[in-house]
Amino acid sequence: MTLTHLNARGEAHMVDVADKQETRREARACGAIHMQASTLALLAEGGLPKGDVLATARIAGIQAAKRTHELIPLCHALALSKVSVEFTLDASSNCVHVEAFCRLNGRTGVEMEALTAVSVACLTLYDMCKAVDRGMTIDGVCLEEKRGGRSGNWSRESGSESDDTSARKVDTSSVENAVTIHFLAELRERLAIAELTLDWAQIPSQDIAGVKLGLIDRDPKFKALLDQRVLCALNQAMSQDGAAIAPGDEIAFFPPVTGG
Amino acid sequence: MMIVARVQPAAFDIGVEQCALTDGRTDIGAVVSFTGWVRDFNERPDVTALTLEHFPGMTEAALHAIAQEASARWPLQGVTIIHRVGRLEPGEAIVLAMAASAHRHAAFEACDFIMDTLKTRAPFWKKEHTESGSYWVSERQSDRDAADRWEHS
Repeated sequence: MTLTHLNARGEAHMVDVADKQETRREARACGAIHMQASTLALLAEGGLPKGDVLATARIAGIQAAKRTHELIPLCHALALSKVSVEFTLDASSNCVHVEAFCRLNGRTGVEMEALTAVSVACLTLYDMCKAVDRGMTIDGVCLEEKRGGRSGNWSRESGSESDDTSARKVDTSSVENAVTIHFLAELRERLAIAELTLDWAQIPSQDIAGVKLGLIDRDPKFKALLDQRVLCALNQAMSQDGAAIAPGDEIAFFPPVTGG
Repeated sequence: MMIVARVQPAAFDIGVEQCALTDGRTDIGAVVSFTGWVRDFNERPDVTALTLEHFPGMTEAALHAIAQEASARWPLQGVTIIHRVGRLEPGEAIVLAMAASAHRHAAFEACDFIMDTLKTRAPFWKKEHTESGSYWVSERQSDRDAADRWEHS
């Protein structure tokens, strides 16, 4: 095991990631800020002098995640595709639990972004509440889980990185160079297929439009996907033809929704 | 903001859900709820049952996102969205949307928004069963128009 931010002479350097393949990266980090019961009650009621504490701290956390590279010297600037910050008020422990989640398709992980979001959200909670409680403590800031990238998946619960990585290698070896495609509802019945995997090499362009062309190349019946009414979800988020895909992605095609 | 977003085959109890939403709270001034029911006429006049399919994983995330969006637009204390899946018969409740706020206007509008958005964005599909056969329900322009009006407000 080596420290990747040190070069051969032991000097700090930024890791060159230009040749790394883009994959989906996700990280979840947690932390908590402990306070007096009366402070927590004021926070819950919205009775603090600086106004809506949680909304402000959430925005602070999201902004911080986007600016992580300005704070941490050797960290790359990332175009995050998702940042969320959630708060849980815990009256039994007199604290606010903070959880941040970051995601992108890219070449470096998003652990630092998730940890920065939690840290700055906690600092903002301190700032917003300090008029009534200076003794608050921020603690337990840690990474809970990360997914994707060369080192694979890791979670605090399963503890050991190597175990989880080897498990991931086994269970994703078949999709590492392919995408999984689902067909749902009426489209599944019309095409007479529920699921298939398409090799990366069979996809002419690395986006949803390319997946459609790759499928049509395999079987002309997939021309049905060119109908404008057919919807698409990339990794369970609604997406358009131009959305960039990565190996291992999950794609679903389906007709207009009719719930409710 | 408390969010409950569930997809389940089982029936729901609106009273139980409302209690869960308001339990221990004294800052809620209004709860508006909408319940959708299965009717015996739709695209054909003799609907005997319908089957609800969804996209597990994405559905829950989509309902959660709709609740989050509602809470970003109105000052809400809580949102509950429950949608049933599987086989349902006329006279059964199929969907519940509930919004809690300090004041009624926010709760009414949020509930309306949640249903309009759910109908065009949450991955559910209905198949209707009738005496003369089964078919997948088509989307309605009126549902798209209803959802569109929130884009411009």
